[in-house]
Amino acid sequence: MSPEELTPPEDEEDKRLMSLVASGDDDALRLLVHRHHPRLVGYLRSEVGSQATAEELAMEVFIRLHRAASRWRPEAKLTTYLIHIAHNLVLNEWRRRGRKPTSALDSTPEPGDQSHDSARRVTELDEAFRKAVALLPPEQKTAILLLVQQEMPYEEIAVAMDAPVSSVKTWIHRARTRLRELLKDYYGPA
Amino acid sequence: MNQPMNQPAGHDFDQDLARALAQDRAVPVPGFAARAVLAIQADRRRRTVLRWGSALTTAAACFLAVFVLQGGADDALAQRARALAASDESAQLSDILGFADELSVLTPVIDRHSVVDVLINPDL
Repeated sequence: MSPEELTPPEDEEDKRLMSLVASGDDDALRLLVHRHHPRLVGYLRSEVGSQATAEELAMEVFIRLHRAASRWRPEAKLTTYLIHIAHNLVLNEWRRRGRKPTSALDSTPEPGDQSHDSARRVTELDEAFRKAVALLPPEQKTAILLLVQQEMPYEEIAVAMDAPVSSVKTWIHRARTRLRELLKDYYGPA
Repeated sequence: MNQPMNQPAGHDFDQDLARALAQDRAVPVPGFAARAVLAIQADRRRRTVLRWGSALTTAAACFLAVFVLQGGADDALAQRARALAASDESAQLSDILGFADELSVLTPVIDRHSVVDVLINPDL
């Protein structure tokens, strides 16, 4: 059997837990939430910028997962399905807030820093990256987060965002270009 | 060559991006699983109550509809009664016109229309 045909053990465990959840097993439910909530909260926090909102949305994701447990098909990866629900909730949240990304960084670390503390420069750079990602259009931000932060393959990102793979690749390409523009003080012109 | 102070030596855009975003890759929240299970159990109870409420409302609506349909039979009865009364009036009018015709034949000076008016409006 080739490696591609082997199902990762965590996926098999997810399928087992989901079938138990569908039959009303709350212990299996607790285990499932414990396994998956850290990445879900991390992704949501990067999307909405608030720990409290991220936790609220993550809670709603698991409530909706439970409602659909009897209809969930094991062919789909559970992590992809969770991200799909989360992505839809994020879109609803943006519509509710009527929020759009601003056209400029709120604040930029001083590029002329004379300090030789590389750790401090890395921290500033990380913060600059996070702020720049927050300014991306919604589709580009989601795509780059799922690819780089959650390390999902293009095909799974396409399923999570309910979009063609070609659109996902376009969004990621545009996101990289835009990030380079926003961070030109660190990397030079794109 | 001197590196500008704002560009860390040997840095790579993709590596830096990955490092910056990886910090939020997984954010464990103490107690989250227990709270989530409680929220899901509450949601399950709420949906059960809604389902029962919906079923009872539907049953009540059907019960009410039966009563409304039965009340319609009385209306049909009333309509038939009104139709009978109307036919009785028309029979009376025929009698009046016939009587007026006979009077006008027997007494040509009497205007048939005047006779009809008097018989229909006794107050004249």
